[in-house]
Amino acid sequence: MTQQQPITILTAALGGEGGGVLAEWLVEIATRAGHPAQSTSIPGVAQRTGATTYYVEIHLQTHAELGGRTPVLSLAPVPGCVDLMVASELLEAVRAIQNGFVSPGRTTLLASSGRTLTTFEKLAPGDGRFDSERLLQVAAANSRQLASFDVAATARETGTVPSAVLCGAIAGSGVLPFARADFEAVIRASGRGVEASLRGFALGFARCGAALGGAPAPTPCVPAGTLAAQADLIELGHARVVEFQDAAYGELYLQRVERLRQAERRADPQGLQGTELAREGARFLALWMAFDDVIRVADLKSRAGRFARVRAEAGAAADDLLRIADHFKPGVTELAGLLPPSAGRRLLAWESRRRQAGKAPLGLALKLRADSISGFLALRLLAGLRPLRRRGQRYAAEQALIELWLAAVEQAAARDWQAGLELALCARLVKGYGATNERAKDNLRHIVEHLAHSNAHDIARARSAALADEAGSGLDQALLQAGAPPRAIKPVPVRWFKAGAR
Amino acid sequence: MEVSFSKEVRQLRLGAGETLHGEGILAITKALLQSGVAYVGGYQGAPVSHLLDVMVQAADYMAELGVHVEACSNEASAAAMLGASIHYPLRGAVTWKSVVGTNVAADALSNLASPGVMGGALIIVGEDYGEGASVIQERSHAFAMKSSLLLLDPRPQLPNMVRMVEQGFALSEACNTPAILQLRVRACHVRGSFECRDNLPPAVSRKALLAEPARFDYEKLAHPPATFRQEKLKTDQRLPAARRYIVEHGLNEIIAGRRHDIGIIVQGGLHNTLVRALQQCSLADAFGAAEFPILALNVTYPLVPEQIAEFCRGKRAVLVVEEGQPEYIEQEIATTLRRQDHGNTGTAIHGKDLLQMAGEYTVEVIAAGLVKFLVRHAAELPLAAAQDWLAANAARRQTVAAQLVAPLPPRPPQFCTGCPERPVFSALKLAQTNVGPVHIAADIGCHSFATFEPFGFGHTILGYGMSLASRAGVSPMLGRRALAVMGDGGFWHNGLLTGVESALFNKTDAVLLIMKNGYTAATGTQEIISTPDEAQKAGAPDKRLSLVDRNQTIERTLTGLGVTWLRTVPSYEVDAMRRTLEEAFTTDAGGLKVIVAEGECQLERQRRVKPWLAGLLKAGKRVVRVKYGVDADVCSGDHSCIRLSGCPTLTLKDSGDPLKVDPVASVIEGCVGCGLCGENAHAATLCPSFYRVEVVQNPGLAERALAALRRGVIRLVQAE
Repeated sequence: MTQQQPITILTAALGGEGGGVLAEWLVEIATRAGHPAQSTSIPGVAQRTGATTYYVEIHLQTHAELGGRTPVLSLAPVPGCVDLMVASELLEAVRAIQNGFVSPGRTTLLASSGRTLTTFEKLAPGDGRFDSERLLQVAAANSRQLASFDVAATARETGTVPSAVLCGAIAGSGVLPFARADFEAVIRASGRGVEASLRGFALGFARCGAALGGAPAPTPCVPAGTLAAQADLIELGHARVVEFQDAAYGELYLQRVERLRQAERRADPQGLQGTELAREGARFLALWMAFDDVIRVADLKSRAGRFARVRAEAGAAADDLLRIADHFKPGVTELAGLLPPSAGRRLLAWESRRRQAGKAPLGLALKLRADSISGFLALRLLAGLRPLRRRGQRYAAEQALIELWLAAVEQAAARDWQAGLELALCARLVKGYGATNERAKDNLRHIVEHLAHSNAHDIARARSAALADEAGSGLDQALLQAGAPPRAIKPVPVRWFKAGAR
Repeated sequence: MEVSFSKEVRQLRLGAGETLHGEGILAITKALLQSGVAYVGGYQGAPVSHLLDVMVQAADYMAELGVHVEACSNEASAAAMLGASIHYPLRGAVTWKSVVGTNVAADALSNLASPGVMGGALIIVGEDYGEGASVIQERSHAFAMKSSLLLLDPRPQLPNMVRMVEQGFALSEACNTPAILQLRVRACHVRGSFECRDNLPPAVSRKALLAEPARFDYEKLAHPPATFRQEKLKTDQRLPAARRYIVEHGLNEIIAGRRHDIGIIVQGGLHNTLVRALQQCSLADAFGAAEFPILALNVTYPLVPEQIAEFCRGKRAVLVVEEGQPEYIEQEIATTLRRQDHGNTGTAIHGKDLLQMAGEYTVEVIAAGLVKFLVRHAAELPLAAAQDWLAANAARRQTVAAQLVAPLPPRPPQFCTGCPERPVFSALKLAQTNVGPVHIAADIGCHSFATFEPFGFGHTILGYGMSLASRAGVSPMLGRRALAVMGDGGFWHNGLLTGVESALFNKTDAVLLIMKNGYTAATGTQEIISTPDEAQKAGAPDKRLSLVDRNQTIERTLTGLGVTWLRTVPSYEVDAMRRTLEEAFTTDAGGLKVIVAEGECQLERQRRVKPWLAGLLKAGKRVVRVKYGVDADVCSGDHSCIRLSGCPTLTLKDSGDPLKVDPVASVIEGCVGCGLCGENAHAATLCPSFYRVEVVQNPGLAERALAALRRGVIRLVQAE
């Protein structure tokens, strides 16, 4: 860099994080030191949480050195010509890299290790999050040096906004030719929330310094499944099922796991493939067997540990009182689930006829005060219905579908270990409540019925499609590709046509 | 209003010799006062919202100067306001977002341009083009050409921008023609400084009134037969006068170069970008002195043919750097040269043949075109470094894409946390699962965020306030009723007339959903005629409540026009909204059915709530804070709640359960307790994992005792 070239700083932030204030501070710091400086921004719809960028250029010679000449500064960042890239969010840092702004030969990258998930990532019924590990690797591989720490967490710790922390990190990076005191003086002069800003600045300064020296910060998201690999899944699953019902139900779980084990052994007698089929099958089997009915939910909602967790998550102080209202809407399905199977089925058929006639589903919207005596006792009373569960319609229906799935896994494994594994993994589809749960099980049933004899690849593709999009158009496509029929179109009551179209 | 401009308002008072530090748009605002502007109007919209916002907040100082400021109901009314300069020696300025605002203003602009002006008239437009733009990509340039308006495109350095405002007024007066001053997004937000001059109180103003109106003068009417003469005046007198002024006052700048066989003509607004592109080719120094001369056009319409010809004389080739399409400037330059020396001036003109036709001109884009130009006309220059840089950029992007494996998810703007419009679209999603999909005519405003995930609603957007009008041809062709969504901003901007009046007059069967949040929220929560007034805000005992129900102007207007099917539903009541939508879609009642979704903009509410709660806590008073949460062990990780909401604070986290591989829903810090999570859980029968928690800070003695009693009883029967 020559004295003639400006120092360039590109900041990527999300709306409401104070990126504009940060750019203002940087220009002010440079101006006070006598340097020509300029910032511009694409604020976008800044308050509305979209991505925003701010760009600052600082000429290295002071006005005194320039003797009246005015440098021409660029209003927009230039790909490959950014000295300091600052991002308050990891994905946005990588977006700037993807856009070509960051240069491995020139750019110091200060990127938060924290993620603010995009809506797109949050929608999938499975796990649609972008792999943070990969984002950090790309950040490290494409910058001259990378300093990464959780900016949002640092801001929370110090009771300030990300801009103050980022300002500290910029000072700590040493890229700008200004002393720490110069930065602090400008923050002090800004006059609002100065103490908190300075605390955030100091911690950002320290963490950036530490991060520049060391390896990238640990990843914020633990990739799916790694936690579980360390624990004995089957033991955990057994405990979950026993806690859900009783020891006898636990025994049933173990018997089913044993069937998975044997299926795997038959498919792979030498154990060349490991024990993934039995282990992953046992995982989803446990979650499925401990299905979330009103009894289970009432039990989970009335535990002491839960009350403590709510207090912590609400950020309540010790002296604060808490009022907890739980949102329940038990309907005909929930009631039928507790009745004996024949009565339950009749009730469900009645509700189904009502729905077909265009009537709204019956349901009782409740806001139950879990912290009140009556509300709490109601929860305990529901939880106490546990012995009735095994005689209920829901229990019978779940066991029937579990057996269907298990038999299909056994058959597929007898043909091909991998196909057995893929079909076992399809139990991951079973989640959600009410209609979501019904839809998920319909999807699973369809896969089991039509793809049990297909190859592993087709089964895996159908499962991924079902986990990626709730509407299921991807699943239907995957089914068609595998030569299976798409799911039947559900009859929907025709509620209305405009006069004349009727 | 969303932003407080108290610091900026103070800066407006700076006098001669003092330095103003701030954004481009503030510099422009100050320059208006330095030019003796008498009246200012406009319609808000990025990137020029702040001009009017600052003026509105500076009401006291404007009154001191005698300047009249008007927040107009739309751009047409702003343009019509400039009619004051036709008869009177009044300098006036209006502002809006372009090209959309200019479209709306076009009728009045034509009728202003034809008679011309006596007092200087300046239209500050934010050219919303390229990165960060939110409107269709067209050029305002066409309007200047078709109406013979002056078009200024200042080199984006604060002192020059200020000079162009001052000169713009003078130029306007010198040729009796209104002038458009166009600012790109980054120029509005460029932060720099300039040395101020004293503000000039207008000679005629609210404080120095005219005694008599102007005498009747048919020649100043845009009415035949005067219009025929006016057209001739434009070309015979006004534009030639403008050209003389431009040359005499050096409005366009020629930056000399070291060699003269080639040159570049650039729009002033692109000058800095061009200089950086030249620097990338090692052809310019830090101060913009380049290898060859540059003609920077601070005035891009009209061009001065003599100036162009003079610049091109003796040059083998000239590159025209002109953003957007079509290439009006390049065509005019080519015509100018073609008309000289029997069409054989010896100068090759390049532009869009080497530079990209459409899209923003970034440094990289200009450099790529520049390199092609130089390879052809100055191949001896050392261009390898620039070519390597361009190639490296492309290669790097490819490498990164490969490393990422999957494309990065986009991050469009979305409804704010606690926005009252999000629940309405949740209800619409639910209603459509019951009655089937409907045709949705979308509009401009925050509600257009419903076109993004998780909703994906909206078949068309035809302009601000146009939704109801845009389904007029669709409704008769569809078996189901069509829905038009409109904000209260769009309603007053023009939806009331183009949509409601037209639908009523034609007795159309349609459904209109009005988002009554009380402000033009998307442009920065500016106030409108249906905004709850300050006294109501000050008097509300609980500052958290929505107050938009206190202003019934919209409802009274609709009833007055003859709307009979009118329902008002609080926007957070998802189930009630779903039922109302279904009723509107299925009722036997014909004609226009209007649903008003009532819920005050959450940004405005939070602006009241935050200081109020902080004050109560500081005084040790009782405060109840509401937040929603998800029980991670009850959540099964299917995310259907998110697909029905999309709230920024409703996100995902690792389940914490070794058995569950998929992430669970989680409500993070920033939740304002709007209640949507609970409403959706009920309306869609989602799942029982949501809870609402009220944290009572500084509780009273009685409630402390009751809580202790409850805790005691619960502990007796509670499991771990």
